[in-house]
Amino acid sequence: MNDVIIRTENLIKTYSTGKVKTEALRGVDLEIPRGSFSAIVGPSGHGKSTLMHLIGGLDRPTEGGVFIDGEDISRLSNGRLAALRARKIGFVFQFFNLLQSLTAGENVETAMMFAGEPEKGQSDKARELLALVGLSEKLKSKPSELSGGQQQRVAIARALANDPEILMMDEPTGNLDSASEAEVLDTIFRLHREGKTVVIVTHNDEIAKRAEMVIKIKDGKLADRGSLT
Amino acid sequence: MNIPKLVVKNITRRKGRFVFTLLGITIGIASFVTLLSLGGGLKKEIKKQAAELGANLVVTPKGWCAYEQVSVLTGEQLPEAIPLNVVGKIAAIKGLTAVPYLTERTAYRNNPISVIGILPEEMKRFKNWEMERGKYFATQDEKALVIGSGIAGQFELKPGDELTVRGERLPIRGILKETGGKDDIALYIPLSVAQKLYEVGSNVSFIAIKVDDIAKIDSYIMQIQEAANVAVVSDKQLLKSVLSIVGTVSMTLQLIAAVAILAAAFGIINTMMTAISERKREIGILQAIGAPRGTIFFIFFLESGCYGLLGGVFGVVGGMLFSLFASPYISQNEFTSLIKGGDLAGAMDARIILGSILFSVAVALVSGLYPAWMAARMTPVEAISYE
Repeated sequence: MNDVIIRTENLIKTYSTGKVKTEALRGVDLEIPRGSFSAIVGPSGHGKSTLMHLIGGLDRPTEGGVFIDGEDISRLSNGRLAALRARKIGFVFQFFNLLQSLTAGENVETAMMFAGEPEKGQSDKARELLALVGLSEKLKSKPSELSGGQQQRVAIARALANDPEILMMDEPTGNLDSASEAEVLDTIFRLHREGKTVVIVTHNDEIAKRAEMVIKIKDGKLADRGSLT
Repeated sequence: MNIPKLVVKNITRRKGRFVFTLLGITIGIASFVTLLSLGGGLKKEIKKQAAELGANLVVTPKGWCAYEQVSVLTGEQLPEAIPLNVVGKIAAIKGLTAVPYLTERTAYRNNPISVIGILPEEMKRFKNWEMERGKYFATQDEKALVIGSGIAGQFELKPGDELTVRGERLPIRGILKETGGKDDIALYIPLSVAQKLYEVGSNVSFIAIKVDDIAKIDSYIMQIQEAANVAVVSDKQLLKSVLSIVGTVSMTLQLIAAVAILAAAFGIINTMMTAISERKREIGILQAIGAPRGTIFFIFFLESGCYGLLGGVFGVVGGMLFSLFASPYISQNEFTSLIKGGDLAGAMDARIILGSILFSVAVALVSGLYPAWMAARMTPVEAISYE
């Protein structure tokens, strides 16, 4: 039996806008093995990102539970949920979402600060992480001085700042040209080979083909869960 | 990275907005500090003048208003309503030394100057005056002037020069040694000469009295009031009454400055709300990478406090500079004519400096409460999904 790191039970998420209720997820049961590479795919607006937000502890389900290492994170206090994100999960988003007033190095250091890394060691570790994504010479560059691909690699370095077990990525190549996309994918697959559990929301067929498990979401339900290859 | 560093990076990212918001609180605090120091300087100077008056009691005509009481200390022109024979009656009371003042005004090179009619010998003993240059009055009715060292310095006057008072040219007999008070900025002429020049008959403006035993002061007040139909006020009452007027004026001015600070506080709220709206996605990112809500609150709260700290420091410096440079112009006003630049600097004590900075920080922190709360209550998804 595989070691499960993420599990969901009858996961339901309903958004209310006035009297209108929208069911984004309608009972999703899922198990993601430790160290796997999972791609969440499906049409736009069918609940892929909502699922990632819930299993990443960025949002809370209306019903059901999300278990990480057996702990139901949907019942954690806001503070403990933030601590879990700081300790266990690294996020990468489609629009890079770097802090614009900080340099590449400082963006990575900020994540370390919240993970409890002492200030003294932050600078060296940030340099190492930026070297890992091939951007050691961009340590002092502001996001506005970097290309899209470079910004996304800084975002990946930041996601690794807390040495997380799980990397969650929402369309990480959705906003990149082909060359940048290849660079970013190389980095992501390398991180997976090094043992990270990667959960990636994507429309990209290439990523889906290379994933060990494909989770297809349609109309807020699990349409198909590919077996682990 | 640490939180203070992150805060500094955040507030300085929009330099124009940062500067203008900072200017708002700086101007508010500067005006507050200026008025506080002016008020402080005025109170300090009034206390000094009261001490320099050297009197335990002051005899005034009945019905004098508070402004006239202030003028006893400032040396402004006063009504001449006490007949000179009252001085004799009071001086006859055992244990009292009484000296009359006739306070008038003249102008020299378009500057108003106090002219005080005195009994030369009595006043010299009363004040322990000494001469810096020249000689003191030779007789009680000599048609001459003795002048304060401040006036001599300001207009480069020396013994032998002549000044015109009410159309009469009078020679300067001598210059008094510096006293550090208003005695330095007045012209003195014998009382009888002054009464003739100003055509006030035998009247004087007020009488300053020293008592031999301070414990008997109430008894002396009663004896004076029995001897003549006058009002008697002790130096402490006089000081209290004058300080109360100054305090009211200062408080009113400080309230006006507080309105400026209140406006600056709304400027800070506005800036912080705009910053939160602009940085909504960043707030989401900070939450995603593990920042708890308390930290988000603290970051914005601290940003707001920074405006207060910097505005306070710049405001205090600005207020001090303004007080120093503006005081020569402000001192053209009769009410504040005692204040000189140097005295104002003395009024800027550590309590005002520290208090103003702390007040500025407190105002800014209170202004930051609502914006910081708004930032902290966002959910990560709400913030990240913001377009």
